Amino acid sequence: MTTLPIETSTESTMIESGSHLSGVSSVIAFARREFRDAISSRWFILYTVAFTVLAVAVSFMSLAGSGSHGFAGFSRTTAGLLNLIMLVVPLMALIAGAGSIAGERERGTLLYLLAQPISRVELLLGKYIGLAIALCCSMCIGFGLSAGVLAWRVGGVGISAFVMLVIFTCGLALAMLSVGMLLSVMSRRSGVATGLGLFAWLILVFLSDLGLMAGTILFKLRVQEVFAIGVMNPLQAFKMAVIVNMNASLDVLGPVGMYASQTFGGALPWILALVLGVWTAVPLLIALVIFSKRGSV
Amino acid sequence: MLKVQYIVGLCVLLAAVFGAHAQDTPRSSDEIARLIESAEPGSTVVVPEGVYEGSLRIEKAIVLEGKGLVTIDGLGKGSVVEIAVGDVEFRGFTIKNSGSTVDQEPAGIRAFQGPVIIEHNRLEDVYFGIDLRPAGDSIIRYNTVIGKELKLGRRGDGIRLWWSHNTIVEDNTIDAVRDMVFWYSEDLSVARNVVTNSRYGLHFMYSHNTTLRDNELTSNSVGIYLMYSNNIHLVGNSIINNRGTSGYGIGLKDCDAITVENNALLANRVGMYIDNSPSSVDSFGIIKNNKVAFNEIGMLSTPITHNNVITHNSFLENEEQVTVHGRGQLMLNEFSADGVGNFWSDYSGFDQDNDGVGDFPHEPRSLFRSLLARQPNLRIFLHSPAQQAIELTARAFPELSPMPIFVDHSPLARPPELDLLVSSHQTSRLPMVGFAAGLLLISVISGWLIARQPCLPVLSDSDLSQRVFV
Repeated sequence: MTTLPIETSTESTMIESGSHLSGVSSVIAFARREFRDAISSRWFILYTVAFTVLAVAVSFMSLAGSGSHGFAGFSRTTAGLLNLIMLVVPLMALIAGAGSIAGERERGTLLYLLAQPISRVELLLGKYIGLAIALCCSMCIGFGLSAGVLAWRVGGVGISAFVMLVIFTCGLALAMLSVGMLLSVMSRRSGVATGLGLFAWLILVFLSDLGLMAGTILFKLRVQEVFAIGVMNPLQAFKMAVIVNMNASLDVLGPVGMYASQTFGGALPWILALVLGVWTAVPLLIALVIFSKRGSV
Repeated sequence: MLKVQYIVGLCVLLAAVFGAHAQDTPRSSDEIARLIESAEPGSTVVVPEGVYEGSLRIEKAIVLEGKGLVTIDGLGKGSVVEIAVGDVEFRGFTIKNSGSTVDQEPAGIRAFQGPVIIEHNRLEDVYFGIDLRPAGDSIIRYNTVIGKELKLGRRGDGIRLWWSHNTIVEDNTIDAVRDMVFWYSEDLSVARNVVTNSRYGLHFMYSHNTTLRDNELTSNSVGIYLMYSNNIHLVGNSIINNRGTSGYGIGLKDCDAITVENNALLANRVGMYIDNSPSSVDSFGIIKNNKVAFNEIGMLSTPITHNNVITHNSFLENEEQVTVHGRGQLMLNEFSADGVGNFWSDYSGFDQDNDGVGDFPHEPRSLFRSLLARQPNLRIFLHSPAQQAIELTARAFPELSPMPIFVDHSPLARPPELDLLVSSHQTSRLPMVGFAAGLLLISVISGWLIARQPCLPVLSDSDLSQRVFV
């Protein structure tokens, strides 16, 4: 993606009559460019293939020997997919986000992009939207094949829970992409940004949970404290959201889950969705502020 | 003349309306009482078709037939049908709308003396369903009971036996009640009943010497709970998706001489809960040929539990296979006998000599599980990569590994072929196939739509030179 996408095409659908593009259409233009860059890049294809293969493999393996007990097999599949999603999707989204601005900056192409008659906000939003759509499409391929395996092996059991799984996974990807973008606008070099992205992945996926585990044991935290701290992690919020949609209760997650289910009841899925929403909106807003204030390229 | 015609017409119309109305009008249940009064003891009374209102008390040994066409409506007050004497057969009625006061415990059908035969009845919107107290040597079969829409603990029992020995309870369908419960009743036959959406599917209190065969218990809080009941055989039951807050597929509390055989325990919160069973020192529990699969916990035991022989079961893909309530081990139970153990889907050994038995004992050690036993709040981290990280750590540093909870010396290399009663929950594949195809199409089409054209507006060289190098 080092070459500039200046094409000598006769098509000019994207160009407005005036010399300055309107806000929305320039965002769309950048989103489309970002999408094209993403789906033709090697890392993206690699992640997509890896996610798809793993998703299908998990579906097959958790259904092995399940016979005709449809919904039982379904929840096993979802439990298996959860672990896979929580490992791969944040990695994919964080790295994609981290590489976006810092990569352009390092290659010098950011200079060219900023030379276009658009604002920095529009540029960042366009990049965000393009990458988000690319990520969601990539996951839809994995989920689509996985759903195909489920349909083949156990029929149409648990379809609404599966729909929610897909939706929340996309939500998780958007949140992680936001964080990645924030890291990207803060870094001068793409290597630094990718490193920060990996570090963020390590913190969110492993270190924060392990830390909270240690804290729970050492300080004998009460259920409400464990829940309040745990739910701040977007990955835990995502996991709880998927499970609460699948089982209508968090009782499988022990005392803390029961506390959450009984305290918040029907509002719980919305609270969890809100957590993902905040993790999407806040880092993106900070990234927008930093990026638009930054004088240099 | 015209006026007369009108009046005649009006009369005919009114007669028609009232006539029709008279047939629909509910009659009083006193009419049934009078029919019984005029009948000889032991004779058969066929109740005419219709809806009867008010409660009915039977005080004569008689056969009462509703032929499926008679409804008795209790009008929400007290019990609907009371059988005060033995040798009554009550067949083919629809009973509905009993009272719901807790102190009176009103029932759809209550019998005070056995033997009675209560069969082919449908009970709707009743507080208790069929209540024998006591009515031994009775038969309750082919009844359907649907409870009132109340909170789980506030509902009444679908079928309750109290001190009613030698009773047959078979082929009943129960939905949305509290329990199907057996108090102090021995030598029963409980078979092929279906209990759904209730609290305890089958609940035994101090009731000995019974076989529970081929019952289906689905989506209750608890499937089968035996308490202080000895010499019970649980055979061929299908126990699926019972996951109340303290939900178990099968719960055994202080029961001696229990045999649990050929049952399917699927997708329950806890497949099987053993609380100090057997409780006597010299008694044994036998648990064999069961399929314990897809439960959150396959088998949960109190640490004191001992003398169970657990062989030839299939423990398949339970989130936790076997665990102890609190801390401790289950070393006083046998997980293999005469060279036959169980199949464990998490067995990590192999069977090189191909004799069907794994070459290493199955001694599950999970650091995360042992942490869970110490601090149950950690269960919130189940299904997360952090859990895997902890297990990996324990594998890399064996000194961190906890003691195994139990040892199966002869784990089976292949899941045993079990002949189980499991109703299949197949639904149409089409929505799922459509969903799968939809997801794939969305990604491909949006990819194509977005990527098919060049995306960036092309600026002229003069623009570039003007804007970039300012």
